[in-house]
Amino acid sequence: MSEHNIDELLELIWTQQEDGKDSLNELLRVTDEENAEDVLKRMAQDGFVVISGDKLTFTPTGEARAKEIIRRHRLAERLFTEAFKMEVDEKIEYNACEFEHILSPEVTESVCTFLGHPPTCPHGRPIPRGKCCEKFHKEMKPLVTPLNELQPGEEGRIVFIAPKNHTRLDRLSTMGIIPGSIVRLHQKRPSFVLEVGETTLALDGEIVKEIYVKRV
Amino acid sequence: MHDHGSHKEEEPKGIPRLALIGNPNVGKSVIFGYLTGKYVTVSNYPGTTVEITSARAHVNKKEYVVIDTPGVNSLLPMSEDERVTRDILLNEDIEAIIQGIDTKNLRRGLLITLQLAEIGIPFVIALNLFDEARSRGISVDAEKLSETIGTTAIPTVATLRKGMDQLLKALQNPRVSTFATHYDRRIEDGVVRITPLLPDARISKKSLALMLLAGDESLNNWLHEHLREQIIREIDNIRLEVQSSFSEPLAYVINHSRLMASDRLLKEVFSETGKREKDINSSLGRWSMHPVWGIPFLLAVLYGFYQFVGVFGAGTLVDFLEDSVFKGYVNPWAVKLFDYIPIMILRELFVGQYGIITMAITYAIAIVLPIVGTFFIAFGILEDSGYLPRLAVMVNNIFKAMGLNGKAVLPMVLGLGCDTMATLTARILETRKERIIVTLLLALGVPCSAQMGVVLGMLGGISFTATLVWLGVVVGVMLLVGYLASKVIPGTGSDFILELPPIRLPQLSNIGIKTMARIEWYLREAVPLFILGTLILFISDKLGLLALAEKIAAPLVVGFLGLPIKATEAFIIGFLRRDYGAAGLLVLARAGQLDSIQIVVSIVTITLFVPCIANFFMIIKEQGIKVALYITGFIFPFAFLVGGILNFVLRYYQVAL
Ligand SMILES: Nc1nc2c(ncn2[C@@H]2O[C@H](COP(=O)(O)OP(=O)(O)OP(=O)(O)O)[C@@H](O)[C@H]2O)c(=O)[nH]1
Ligand SMILES: [Zn+2]
Repeated sequence: MSEHNIDELLELIWTQQEDGKDSLNELLRVTDEENAEDVLKRMAQDGFVVISGDKLTFTPTGEARAKEIIRRHRLAERLFTEAFKMEVDEKIEYNACEFEHILSPEVTESVCTFLGHPPTCPHGRPIPRGKCCEKFHKEMKPLVTPLNELQPGEEGRIVFIAPKNHTRLDRLSTMGIIPGSIVRLHQKRPSFVLEVGETTLALDGEIVKEIYVKRV
Repeated sequence: MHDHGSHKEEEPKGIPRLALIGNPNVGKSVIFGYLTGKYVTVSNYPGTTVEITSARAHVNKKEYVVIDTPGVNSLLPMSEDERVTRDILLNEDIEAIIQGIDTKNLRRGLLITLQLAEIGIPFVIALNLFDEARSRGISVDAEKLSETIGTTAIPTVATLRKGMDQLLKALQNPRVSTFATHYDRRIEDGVVRITPLLPDARISKKSLALMLLAGDESLNNWLHEHLREQIIREIDNIRLEVQSSFSEPLAYVINHSRLMASDRLLKEVFSETGKREKDINSSLGRWSMHPVWGIPFLLAVLYGFYQFVGVFGAGTLVDFLEDSVFKGYVNPWAVKLFDYIPIMILRELFVGQYGIITMAITYAIAIVLPIVGTFFIAFGILEDSGYLPRLAVMVNNIFKAMGLNGKAVLPMVLGLGCDTMATLTARILETRKERIIVTLLLALGVPCSAQMGVVLGMLGGISFTATLVWLGVVVGVMLLVGYLASKVIPGTGSDFILELPPIRLPQLSNIGIKTMARIEWYLREAVPLFILGTLILFISDKLGLLALAEKIAAPLVVGFLGLPIKATEAFIIGFLRRDYGAAGLLVLARAGQLDSIQIVVSIVTITLFVPCIANFFMIIKEQGIKVALYITGFIFPFAFLVGGILNFVLRYYQVAL
């Protein structure tokens, strides 16, 4: 019995609650945890959950912890699909499960900011809001956005480029597109057109999406 | 479109070589023209020069072979044309280099300067397009730049020949740049480990080592020629080792260091005063690729083209030349002349039904020449304005469906000038798959200027609907074939990254020279083929082969396409040149032997007909004999198939044209 098992069950209870269910037996039926009953007992002792009859509810501590795990898990899924362009499948699920245990609170915040504080995971379930998201409501603008989200006429300083293939990075760099350069988005349709210094470049939207900038 | 200076014969060894190198579209070819007095095509888009052109010239009273090269953004080649340039440095004994830089884009120019410094060949820099930089409020301190990098940089305006004297003077004693770029220690270590393994070469070992670290696969052949297998493996291991300590690819890490170094240089010599002259050109540039206005803009361009080439060239001028000049004077005179020569066969050879004067020369000069002449003028204006790359912005998405990207619009549009030269320009595309698809589409459906002019002339005589049917079928077929080809041909497409040059006011003198050069080329290349075609018809006719061919082709031409048997001749000479075939159809149409449906069916078929001989050889040269045979083997039956289906559909639905 480990922290890991506890986290998994907290997560499951959270999703069950999202679906409006709070039955202990139902939970035991759907979980893949080997000795779920023992783990749950231990969780009750540690003050994460309260069990009364068939009804299972979070304590405030349990809820807070579950919320953090869920948030990390769903942010990780977002990261995989958005930044790494992975398909929504079991592999993602597996990776996200690994990720949720290793993300520190600071990293979680930066991932969230980086992704522009996404409200939902790729499966459409809500991502619990974090501290950074509150700040977001005040500032309104994420720090780093994909270049394609600028409005025509806006400028940004390139923070990093996350290309799908390597030659793309080489080629962009010979045109002067590297982190630190300032680009102006000239237009988005019918193709993207950028200005870097005195060079005007037309390129695929797909490439533009991989260039992340900070508005200036 | 046509590289007039491209003489393949080897320039004699022993004469020192002078190479022009620089980013695309910075005026290298203009400088080449100034130095050698020889014209190579100058146009306002990146990738005009795709082949090496060399010419002998006296520079500072000394004899040189001057070499014009395709533009590059880095000496690490990314496409076929860029590779050509790097290979020159590797394989030719270059005494000095002139680096052309677009002054307003100094940053990118310096990226190449740093690489030239590394290579260790002496060079001078032409800070060209200085006028354009000034009008954008940019100034560059040439003296300071020269001082810092240890060679000479001269501000120039090549088109006005400004600064050329100083450039020549600097060439009297070109210096090796003393500037060294500093790389990450791990990279420098790798260089130190690789250099002792390398053989002596024309470029410095350090620069070679950096190219190898960057994983330049195009060096493969060179390596295997000069090094043992074991050493090559050793180098590769060093590269992998160095790479393993970086998360980014080494090529990028190296470029990044160079850009950082040029940024530092830039800070010292480059300044923007901020006062930009507002001009109409940049507004035109914006409209021409605007999501909404871009389309009417394109239609207006096409309309202007149609008026000038289709109506004025193919109508007014052809009428004048054919009816007044040839039918009125030339041919009757020729016939009269042969009245004095009592040899029947000679008379028929020159002024008979398949006569060299009455058919070949009449077609070439009276029908096709005015059309290509007006076309070349209009096309030159388009090229020099900088509109063509903006067209690529408009059509990128359509081209994506064919496994290509917007960049392919350049060879395709050039194909409207001459498919043969356009097939060569396919080199600017990055992957083999793209080059083959473009070559196929050019051979299949892009009518060259001469052919298009003739076709427009015929269509203009029927109705606008007919023009739309022709255009719709040809474009539709190309889209379909392109789409299918992208599925069948193995390989991948490439990214669309295209530099858009500024919109410029075309210069009358350049248009003039370019048009004359192209007309000269047309006469030299097309007229002999026209004569050859006529001779073939003449001889076949005499031997009775023509009648035989017509009999054999009858089920196809008459039965399937629904055309008169006479049209067979047009297809036979179409094997030599499609425009010649089209001209044959035009003559039939003018004689009232074709109805509207027959005209449309026949010109659709001839448009899609096999590539002309010259193009066929170019395909062999660029893509190999196998590809050339496949392409022709596909197109020949396919053209007739489309023509036949169109004939059937038009007749079945009794479309009124
Ligand atoms: N205003 C101005 N235009 C110039 C100058 N030099 C060249 N041009 C124009 O720039 C365009 C490009 O010139 P090219 O000589 O074809 O350039 P290139 O470097 O050979 O180009 P690629 O062969 O494509 O690499 C043409 O439209 C020229 O007329 C200059 O000094 N001032
Ligand atoms: Zn957030």
